Amino acid sequence: MKAAPFAYVRPGTVADVVAELSRDGSKVIAGGQSLVPVLAMRLGRPTQLIDINAVPELGELSRDGGSLRVGAAVRQRQLQREEIAAAVPLARMALPWVGHREIRSRGTVCGSIAHADPSAELPAVAACLGATMVLRTGHGTRQVPAADFFTGALSTAIEPDELLSEVIFPVAKRGEGFGFGEFARRHGDFALAGVAVRVHTSEASVEARLTCFGVSDVPVTVDVSQQLRSALQRTGSDPSRADLLSALADHTPDVAGDVVDTVGDSHASPAYRRQLISALAAREVSRAYVSARLSESEECSR
Amino acid sequence: MNLPQPYARTEADQAVEVNLTINGTEVHLSLPARVTLSDALRDHLGLTGTHVGCEHGICGMCTVLVDGDAARACLLFAAQLDGAEITTVEGLGRQDELHPLQESFGRHHGLQCGFCTPGFLMSSYDLLTHEPGVQRDDLPAELSGVLCRCTGYRNIIDAVDDVAQTHRGTLPAPGNCGKRALVGRTAAAATGPAAISAESTFDEEPAERPQEIDLPAGDPTIHIEVTSRLDSNPTEVARVFGDIRLLARCLPGAELTDELGADWYRGRARIALGPMRMAFNGIAHIEEQSADRIVMKAQGKDAGGGALARIIMTAAAVDGGGTALQADASVFLTGRIAGFGRSLAGDVSRRMFEEFARAVDRAASGEEEPTAGTRPPGAISLLFGTIVDRVRQFLRRLASGVWRRH
Repeated sequence: MKAAPFAYVRPGTVADVVAELSRDGSKVIAGGQSLVPVLAMRLGRPTQLIDINAVPELGELSRDGGSLRVGAAVRQRQLQREEIAAAVPLARMALPWVGHREIRSRGTVCGSIAHADPSAELPAVAACLGATMVLRTGHGTRQVPAADFFTGALSTAIEPDELLSEVIFPVAKRGEGFGFGEFARRHGDFALAGVAVRVHTSEASVEARLTCFGVSDVPVTVDVSQQLRSALQRTGSDPSRADLLSALADHTPDVAGDVVDTVGDSHASPAYRRQLISALAAREVSRAYVSARLSESEECSR
Repeated sequence: MNLPQPYARTEADQAVEVNLTINGTEVHLSLPARVTLSDALRDHLGLTGTHVGCEHGICGMCTVLVDGDAARACLLFAAQLDGAEITTVEGLGRQDELHPLQESFGRHHGLQCGFCTPGFLMSSYDLLTHEPGVQRDDLPAELSGVLCRCTGYRNIIDAVDDVAQTHRGTLPAPGNCGKRALVGRTAAAATGPAAISAESTFDEEPAERPQEIDLPAGDPTIHIEVTSRLDSNPTEVARVFGDIRLLARCLPGAELTDELGADWYRGRARIALGPMRMAFNGIAHIEEQSADRIVMKAQGKDAGGGALARIIMTAAAVDGGGTALQADASVFLTGRIAGFGRSLAGDVSRRMFEEFARAVDRAASGEEEPTAGTRPPGAISLLFGTIVDRVRQFLRRLASGVWRRH
């Protein structure tokens, strides 16, 4: 299981990276944690790999107003470790589920999003938060919102000559709470089903977004505000997590019916995945709501 | 964070230059871009402690530390790691001073077949250094990046938990890092600590003799000190010491093939041990040669690995006649043969020296000219003798009650 031969280039600037990308058969490699297995099994045989690890700009992780900008070479473990990334709690909640420590040491945040595995965690985080992908070529830069970015299994809006140079995550605001959960047969395996949740509460309103992954060819985002409000009508606006969870359990199953789009595989049938989604959604929406209320009542906002 | 240097395009059939620091030693490699770190470590540097299982990032056997964080060596192209610091299981602990994790794995019987052990050691090292407060309940999930095929998980968890509890925040750093020569499976091609070329092949003989045979700076794989009592008197032994060709013929399985001048020699040595057959091609340099003392360095390689050695032989008169022939050898094994049990390798070397000493004795007394070593030394007798010795030791220990005390 060795990769087929390929030409190798390690440019030092973004301009050089995109110039190299204009050659046919080029593929960007950052961490390689998804790409190398593909090469090892010879499912992919690019003629040239462009190693982007020597571009200082792509290794930047920075806060820009209400955004966290994550460069293409920023490792997943870096996002877990660096204080600046705490501003995006949903990513912090999802990262422990991404492979194993050994994978996260090298794997990049942008790489996982560009790879767009339907059962991967970070694409779901990007979809749930409405992150923005920055794509660059020799002639310019365009920004693609998450909703338009994932086009199918392992497929994205990235053109062959484009580089996903950074992902911009919105920083958590006051009154926002998050939940993340997945079910896999073994820790670190790809999820049979998983959910990412963002709840926003303010005096007047409650909004909840649920992104499901592992159940369709792309992360599927649905608005579950109505379900949450119905549950809250039964429990009152300041429920305990257990009460809210049981109320939500009655209101979320219908969501699962819409999002599960897979025909199933040897690991799990669509019916089983719907059950997982219902259970995970109830659990994580209640978690997100409770933490949103907590964040709302906090004196200082982030 | 150190960024790698930009690197111009290398075509698919060309080699990429890579500089790495591995277990404290700087190495320079020149290899195709598609060579993974695990293959570079094993094939080009002889560090076969890093095991390769699935080769696509599932099993975790090949886990090493890259700049202090555990990573899967089979999912990294060596070319991508230019400038990185790598720690492999070889760097973790020393033969005589194991790392607490290694010691704990042994104590808790966390090895079973041992194939996954390097991966578990490196993964748990990362875990305990970055999350010293980790709780036992979290260990199965935290260590799930490495698979054990004999399902020895319980003992492995016990071993890691033990170290986690006894070393909260005080886990010692890898204890076997320092400058040493890394000699790949292409031993004779190595000319210095940092000069290892992936281009050399097993069959190639060194075209020219090197300036010097550089021995690794670390501990030798085996160190042997043996004294044999010869019947011949020192004058007779001195005659053999003075004739390198005669001396070479006394070496079991060895053959002198070429004299390179200035006390450099090229030769072959064949060793057979049961099913194992090794044919070393190599060179030797006699650094010192007198009537009672010979100091030499030798390096040889076989398809299965290589060996470098420094050997000092001294002959001294013994009261009551005869000569004491003493050998002091430091042997560095690399490649697959390095995986051969150290103690057994030591026993075999010792036995070979004893055979050599007998041959020197015969040659010295002139009673029998040793035949050129075209035949491997009696394979069965070597191994048999070694095993008989082991059994004797075992019986001795039983008799002395050493084992009963445990």
